[in-house]
Order: sequence, then structure tokens, then C-alpha cells
Amino acid sequence: MKYMVFLVVFLSLTSCVEIIDDLSFKSDGSGTFKYTINLSASKVRVNSILALDSLDGKKVPSIQEIKDKIAKYKEIISQKEGISNVKVETDFTNFILKIQCDFTSIIALQKAVKEIVLDESKNKKEIESYWLTWEGNRLTRSIPSITEDLTSRLKKEDIEGLKKGNYMSITRFDRPIEKCENSASLISANKMAVMLKNSPYALIQNLNLLENTIVLSDKK
Amino acid sequence: MKNIFLLVVCLFNLYTFGQTSDDLIPKEAVIVLGINNTSLLKKISMDSLIQYEFMEEVQAEMFDGSADNKTLKDAGFDFGQKLHVFNGKTNNYEVSGFSFGISSLKDLLLVFDDFDKVKSPINGIEYYNSYFNHLIIKGKAGLVLRVDPSYEKIKHVTDSIWIKRGNGYFFDDKDKKGESEGDDEIEDPLNKILKDGELEADDTEVKLNAKDIINKTYWELKDSVTNDLQVKYLQFILNEIFEKNVHLKNQDSKFATQLTHDSEGIFYMDNSRNLQNAKGLWYFQTMFPELFKDIKTLYSGNVVVGDIYLKDNAIEFKLQANYGKDLGKIYEKLNSTKFDKNVLRYIHEDCAGFFTYNINLKEGYKQAYDIIIPMLSKQKDPRVTSNVLKAELLNEFINLDAVFDTYHGSMFGTFNGVKKVKTKRIEFSYDEKTFEYSEKEIIGEEEMPMFTVGFSTGRADIPEKILEYMGKMTTRFKKTDNYWKIDDAIFNSIPVYVINRNGLLVITNDESLAKEHIDGYGKQALSGKQAKNAKKSKFMYSYFNIGEVLSKIPKQVFTTKQNKVLDSMRGKEGYIELTTINTSEENTDFEINYYFQGDYKDSGKYLLDLINSAFVLAK
Repeated sequence: MKYMVFLVVFLSLTSCVEIIDDLSFKSDGSGTFKYTINLSASKVRVNSILALDSLDGKKVPSIQEIKDKIAKYKEIISQKEGISNVKVETDFTNFILKIQCDFTSIIALQKAVKEIVLDESKNKKEIESYWLTWEGNRLTRSIPSITEDLTSRLKKEDIEGLKKGNYMSITRFDRPIEKCENSASLISANKMAVMLKNSPYALIQNLNLLENTIVLSDKK
Repeated sequence: MKNIFLLVVCLFNLYTFGQTSDDLIPKEAVIVLGINNTSLLKKISMDSLIQYEFMEEVQAEMFDGSADNKTLKDAGFDFGQKLHVFNGKTNNYEVSGFSFGISSLKDLLLVFDDFDKVKSPINGIEYYNSYFNHLIIKGKAGLVLRVDPSYEKIKHVTDSIWIKRGNGYFFDDKDKKGESEGDDEIEDPLNKILKDGELEADDTEVKLNAKDIINKTYWELKDSVTNDLQVKYLQFILNEIFEKNVHLKNQDSKFATQLTHDSEGIFYMDNSRNLQNAKGLWYFQTMFPELFKDIKTLYSGNVVVGDIYLKDNAIEFKLQANYGKDLGKIYEKLNSTKFDKNVLRYIHEDCAGFFTYNINLKEGYKQAYDIIIPMLSKQKDPRVTSNVLKAELLNEFINLDAVFDTYHGSMFGTFNGVKKVKTKRIEFSYDEKTFEYSEKEIIGEEEMPMFTVGFSTGRADIPEKILEYMGKMTTRFKKTDNYWKIDDAIFNSIPVYVINRNGLLVITNDESLAKEHIDGYGKQALSGKQAKNAKKSKFMYSYFNIGEVLSKIPKQVFTTKQNKVLDSMRGKEGYIELTTINTSEENTDFEINYYFQGDYKDSGKYLLDLINSAFVLAK
């Protein structure tokens, strides 16, 4: 039976991930951050991997272990200065994870992320600079250095598997958007939100695809 | 006249004591693989051989990069003799190595250049050492040998000396496993049971110079004991082989018979000794020595021997599983059954792979009951007695006919390729005006391997009762006119279909089988040679079209490592067929044949590809 499971695992095919990163800003610099990972299109594969003890020599966590880890991160994030109203929704039938929190400033949000990365990284490597800057009517978005580190560790075949996925980056404001520097940006019909849509594969090939400078109108 | 007599005596001695590589395998060897294909090894140049990953380690050890343009023949090996690789284990030590023929000692020593000649412990042999490995040469045959004393034996001797010198028991945190396995007394009952030659070596007291050990730490003492035991066991094995002429060939007639075969390779595995040396059974052996003795008797003669034949476009493995009389009676009863022809209707003629398995579980159970229960009944241990009573009562009270009519013991399985199956998934869609997004459930498709398994049954009503009960308990079990559908049965996503008809209980994730071929594939069902082979093979038959299976499975479903292995097999069309030839009270004969088509120089190259694949997979 064990071998049957193994066989099915390696024969089950598609892998497809959908990620939505959603930042809402108010004029005072506070806002809400939402992050959604949707693996429902790959749930057969995810379920089959979860049925294993290990994959490629690495231990496969149980659903309970994943739940415990998520609860731990929720607790850690909640305790960070400037972060409140942390909500986590999990759907282990469809494998959808949603994380949401409010922040008092973009610096507070980034500081919290940096501290968590530092605590969890084995070599205690700090993210050197901030990747989001807010100057009243201008938001500049770059790519954190850790992203490059992480993507460089991915194997070629893992990267290939991400071609079918979707990465949506949405930034919302309480004022209309005047212009965006990234030509791939889509501005919503009400001018209050901007979206960059790529495949995770394209992003890994070129992290600059998410870089953007958004200029807002002075008027609400 | 005197000279003629002397010549006859000399020739007799040469015949009797002129040992070949066949005669240098220690009797402790449990697994032996012998290579007899002179043409194979002569044909392959060292350069092409060392390209295989499995040869890298051998190459590094033996040739030190000085093998350019050399073949194995240049290494001083005699291909007139077989090359045997062996491994074996007793309760006290593990022995491994290989024996071979020598055509040129000078060339051989150039290859084994890290071995140093030392004084031989036995007269008439040349002896070389390299760390833990020993090279022993007698005439035109050589033996590379490594002997490692068991952890338990080393600890037992070390502790006994340590405690005798006035020290307390030494607790070793690093060796918790060894200590948790209990006291070292386990060897006594074992040694009583085994009664083989190694006892002579076991009971010999390890004599260490007191002056040397007086100031030694426990670890230093342990190292000394290890070294001493290594020497002692090595000496014991060498004495047996080279002085007493005791070796596996003249200790096991089945192995001796195997050596007479003209196959390209031979295989030998003594499962009965694997059982008696199994460390996992130490508790059982210690607590129930008499019962263990009975089981060992039941298991005696359990030896698997085999031959490997290389044909133009095939590799044939002929295996014979031997067993003792009592076990043979059980196997014979298990095999007293007819092939259920109904299974063939559920195997498609284009099926990439399938197996059939037929046993008479009822007769096998009765025979096993008659043999094993009396064995257990002799025991006075309360746990064993209680379990015997439970087994006897169950045997009396349970309707055995109903049990064994429900499951006769026969089954089949098929791989029907990869098909798309419908699955539900969540997709996020967003509003163009605000980019607010919402979830919606859509039906998607994922590719899945299609499997079917089926069991012969004479009581369709019993599985039906269970299915009906499950149907009342959960909405996931749904009955249609012809079959049952179990939603989200595989990985919480894929449905499974249960067909309870025609004396078979068929379980499949192939929707088309349930909906369109409820009574089988009709004219598209398996027929012809494969069907005949399956019927004829009775106990077990399997067929896998390797080329087709690999072509149907996309590369991305495998890991890099697995793809590396499979790459050596991709593009080579062929199939593997396992057939049961004959079952008797003494043994069962199997054949595993790998037929391939394509552009190959010879089957030897193909075999090396397979060996390399297996090596990479096992690494």
C-alpha cells in the first residue's frame, strides 16, 4: 500500500499556485495587508504529498503541524509593534491560506516582517533595507533582498512547475492614482487600485517585474 | 613407479585442494552474487565501464586513475573463474568481500596497490592488508575480505573486562540503542540454539596484555577489543577456508548446485539464516527460545537461488524459492487453486501493466493452522497459551466458509495509463472597477494515473452489505444502478468506483470502466499470449510494458534523482514479465524476463544500465 501511495504521488501531475498580495493604504500611512495563497488547483498533489512521511529526504509535515506553525506565526505577528487585528483563515479542503493584519505605518509592517525573518532564519541574516517607501502621495515598491536569496535556491525543475501559477499584487489607496511607472500596471476603473499580474515563474526570472512607483492625486 | 605414484598424489592434491574462486566463499555468506559472463567483462573497456556511476567508487578504490586504456582483463583477473560478491552475518560478526580468479598476480597487485604484504597467518597463502580489508591469494584465486565484529559482541567483551578490573558498569550515551536492546545475555540462548562452528570462536577468551590495558580508558579498551576480535574472527574464517577446506560450496548443496550452472550470473540468498541472525527478533529469541527453535525449523531450507541469462534481446532471471517440508505443505495448499478467468475481462488488451495473483486462502489457512497451532500449543507461557486459545475459539466459532468465500485469496491489478479527472477548485476573480476579488468554485481537470484492483468473491452479498451500511452513514458513498461511487476517496479529491459483479469486487478510479465497461472490456479484453501466460502462471503473473509506462508519465512528476535513473531506461522499449513456473512441496520456480527492443549492442550493456539505475536509486 505504501508503494501504491508513492506511485500515485509521483504520477499525480499538475502543480499550480495562486498568490494574491493586497496592500490597502490610507493617507496617514496606515493600512491593511492581506496575503492569500491558493493551492486548490493542486490539491490532489498537495494531498498526495501530505500522505508521505518524507519527500526528497525532507520530512513532510502533518496538517496539524502546519496548523500549529500557522498559529505560532499568528501569535508572533500579533505581538509586533504597530501591528493589530491579525486574522488567519485556513481551508485544508481546498488548501487556501489567508493572512490579514492592520498596520500603523508601512515601516511598522516591514519591521515586523524583518524581525520574523531574522528570528526564523538559520544564519540570522537580516533584510538590510526597506522595500516599501511611502512619501504622502508616492509609494515606491522594490524587491526585498531575501527574495533574491530564496529564489536563487530554487531548483530549475521547481521553477518550471510555477509557470502555471498566478501572482497578483494589488495596492489600494483612499485617493485616486495619478500615474504608475511600471508599464505593466493595471489601474482599476475607479482609479483607486493598481494591480500587477504575473506568473510566479516570470517573477522568479525577473524580480523587477513587481517594482513600481505609484503617484497619487492630491485630491480625494 | 615411485615417481608415477608421486605424480598421481600431486595431481590428486591439486584437484582436491587447488581452490578456485568458488571455494573461497566463507560459509557465513548469506547472500552471494556470482558473475560468470566472461564475454561480457571482456567486451567492455574500462573507459566505458567507469562511466557508470556505480563504478566510480570501485574505480576510485582500485585504479587510482591509472586505468587509461586498460580493460578488466589487464587488471590481472582470470575470467575462466567466476567473480563472487558476498555478504553474511552471524550473531558475532559480519563478513563481506569478493572472490575471483587471478591470471597475473603482478598486474593484480598493481591494481591493489594500497595493500601491503604482511606475514601470513596461514601457511600456503599470500596475505596483504589495507586498513580493514584483507587480500588473500592462494594459487590462482584471490579473496578480498572484511570482517567486522558486531556491536553487541564488542560491548559484551569490553564490559566483562572493564567490570572484572573493578570498574562499574559503563553507560554509553552514544550507544543508547545498543543498551536499550538489553543485556548482553541474549547471546547465551542463541548460542545454544545455533550450534554452528562459530561457537568455537565465541567462547575463546579474549587475551589482552594486562600491562596494555591497565591504564586504558573504556574507549581505548573497546578499540583494543574490537581489533582483537577482528583478528580472531578473521583467523577463524581463514582457518576454515584454507586449512579445513570448509566453505559455503561444500556446506550448502544448493549453492554447490548453483555453481554448476552455465548462466551468466548466479544468485543465492539463505533466508533461514537471515531469520536467525535478525536482530529485531532478539526479544522473541530470548523469551521464547523453544518456540523460536520451532519456527527456525519451520523456516529451515528457506533458500532463494537464481540464474541470470543474457540473451540477444532479453535478460532472463530464473529464481527458485526453496522451503522446508512443513512450509512447503502450506504453500502447496495455498497454490491448490484454479485461475479465475473472470479477471481477464477487466484487463484491457492495451493495458500498460497488470498482475494476477491466485491462492487458495482457505486451504492454506487450514494447513497453516494444523502446523502452527500444535507448535504454539507446546508453549507454557501464559501470553502464548492465551493467544492459542483465542485462535482456537475463533476457528471454532467463526463461519470460515463465509470468510473464505468472500475473499478466496485471488486478486488482480492493472495500470490503465494517465487520464484527466474532474476536480473542484477555487479561483479568485476580481472586479475590474475596484479590483476587489471573490472566490468561486469551478470544475477543473487534473491528470491522474488510473488503477484498477479486483478480488474474486463467491459472496457478493457481504461486500454489498458493507457498502450499503457505508451509504447510510455518509453521503460520500452513492449507489447507482450498476456500481458504487465513493466521492473524494483518493487524496480527498478523486472519486473511486466499486463494481460488485461477475464474482468480482472491482475497485477503480477509472470512471470509464465503471460507466462504459461494467461487465468488462468485451472484445477489447486481454486475450492471446498474455492471457494464456497469466492463466498458466496460476500463483502470480505480472506484465509491465516499461517503454509505454515511462512514455505515459511526464518527466515533471519525478524528482531529479528519479529522472536520472529513469533516463537510462527511457527510449528503450521493452517489457517485464514475471511468471510462476511451478510450485511443489519443496520449492516454487519463478521467471522474471526483461525483453527489450531497440538499438542495443548487447544485453550486457543493458544489464549494466539497469544495475547503474538500481545503484543510483539505492544511494
